[in-house]
Amino acid sequence: MGSSFKVNYKEDMALFQNLWVKTWLVILILLMIILPFFLNRYQLSILNEMGIATIGALGLNLLIGYTGQISLGHGAFVAIGAYTSGLLTGKLGIPFIISLPLSGLMAALLGLIVGIPSLRLKGLYLALGTLAFGFVIEYILFHWDLTQGDLGMAVKRISLGQFQIKTQKQYFYLIAAFAFLAVLCAKNLVRSKIGRSFIAIRDRDIAAEAMGISLAKYKIMAFGLSSFYAGIAGCLAAHYNRWIVPGSFDISLSIAYIAMIIMGGLGTVLGSVLGAILITGIPHAIVYIVDLLKDTYPALSGFIVDFKLGIFGIIIVGTLLFEPAGLYGIYRRTKVYWKTWPFKY
Amino acid sequence: MIMEKIIDIIFSGLSMGAIYALVALGFVLIFKSTGILNFAQGELCMVGAFICYYFATLLNVPYLISILMAIALGAMLGALIDVLIFRRLVGEPIYATIMVTIGLASILVALTGLIWGHDTYSIRSPFIGKTIVAGKMVFAQASLATIVVSIVLFILFIVFFNRSLLGVALKGTAEDSDTAGLMGINVKKMHMLAWTIGALVAGVAGIFLAEQSFVHTGMSHTGIKAMSAAILGGMESLGGAIIGGIIVGVVESFAASYLSGLEMGGFHFGDIKDVAAFAIMILVLMIRPHGIFGKKEVERV
Repeated sequence: MGSSFKVNYKEDMALFQNLWVKTWLVILILLMIILPFFLNRYQLSILNEMGIATIGALGLNLLIGYTGQISLGHGAFVAIGAYTSGLLTGKLGIPFIISLPLSGLMAALLGLIVGIPSLRLKGLYLALGTLAFGFVIEYILFHWDLTQGDLGMAVKRISLGQFQIKTQKQYFYLIAAFAFLAVLCAKNLVRSKIGRSFIAIRDRDIAAEAMGISLAKYKIMAFGLSSFYAGIAGCLAAHYNRWIVPGSFDISLSIAYIAMIIMGGLGTVLGSVLGAILITGIPHAIVYIVDLLKDTYPALSGFIVDFKLGIFGIIIVGTLLFEPAGLYGIYRRTKVYWKTWPFKY
Repeated sequence: MIMEKIIDIIFSGLSMGAIYALVALGFVLIFKSTGILNFAQGELCMVGAFICYYFATLLNVPYLISILMAIALGAMLGALIDVLIFRRLVGEPIYATIMVTIGLASILVALTGLIWGHDTYSIRSPFIGKTIVAGKMVFAQASLATIVVSIVLFILFIVFFNRSLLGVALKGTAEDSDTAGLMGINVKKMHMLAWTIGALVAGVAGIFLAEQSFVHTGMSHTGIKAMSAAILGGMESLGGAIIGGIIVGVVESFAASYLSGLEMGGFHFGDIKDVAAFAIMILVLMIRPHGIFGKKEVERV
């Protein structure tokens, strides 16, 4: 077990705190490399969805969990990323490798614009403002000829030169790499000056400003960063699904993202990952269970939509009532329990 | 001709606005007294409409009795929600309470879907399809009933909050729950009362909405639109919610008849009615976040 004694600041600030963590990291990477050889296409597709959700959830956690700015319009930024890349690669023939950062930047640009009212609006009003923004974006996507409305838009395959990404396995490596990069960037960011400013703003914005943190700069930066992550997630999702419709980026996507970070743990990087895995996994688990029970109760499959919705709601309400710290809280409690075992403290 | 068209637009705007006003009233009431922004308000509407549909159409109960049953059961649901969930969440951060109400909304939609299904039904009301003709104008009876009943309800509420002991106690709790508690007001009971009344007005709004259109699980969308009415009026003011609701309804109605179907450089306005409320919400938040009648928040360091 790694010790938690730190002698200097460098150790305290280290990205990977000790040998224990580094060993696990290597094991995780190795596992990710060999995993696709043991899973079938359906299982890999679940993992791919989880990877994309992880990127989006990390972005939202930077905004809500670290900076304390509630956004109910995260789905809109995902949509902007998806449509930007879809249009750039489809209409202009720009390669994926350029359209990916561009779609992130496009979402970030709109994020900066949405961030400006956040200087005046707080808490509830900001939540409602972003909610309205989400609806307006959805409306625009539905009614603009360029985005082809509810007909949807076909998106090209990802190609790097001659090489095209086609199978779920190839997508898995690509998405896993980006998810890993996103985690690394987020972890790096939150230990830097920017991350600490975010946390100071979350804890008490007026005090933070009195300490010399520019509220305007860091709040807008948080919005920009969070939407950049969302844009990247949207771009990957568009090229992965190869078909985008405005309806898949509606308010329920924003709610799912908030559910991810609340379930996982607000203000933690690990929490975003865990939450993304959980919320993406639950519908598949429900489908799996209903499939198992199909022979005994054939009527059950007619209610699957309601089951998904209801269980989603019950999990949100239950978590907030009984375990507000989310999965990360459970993880930390178990860790402390085993660290001090057999003593209680 | 133009005059008649405008009267017609205002009339349909008013009948929709009355519904928004009722829903917004519930929002403001619950927000003021418990500090919780209830995203499940639209779902409470939907449940009210479904209960009314269940009694009136499926069980053939007389219409007035089924309305009363729907309102009573809806109000009980509100009280139950407070006792089961929100009593434990007093003083929790905003994101937590918002998310719990969103979770509650999904649960309500899922339960309604499990019980009654996701199809579109029409309610068997004595007003449906009937009209009143005044000169050259034709008014739908359902819309007229909505407006009349809403006005009666608004007056009742204003009297209740200003004249009755219970109403004043509720207002006091909303102002400052700690002091209200010290004055011998049972704050927990007041929170429950706020949820009960909030769910009750939502139920009424749901029934009228069902009369003007149909009963289906998607009608909960009205709740989010009514939120812009509450914001427009100022989240703190009951009168503001009513006026905000009417403004949103009328603006929506004008947008629907003058803007939809237009096209501008590859952009079709289409059903602009659905987004007008949100455009109003963004405008209000940009220009005057505390709404028409709300007070500006002053924060102590």
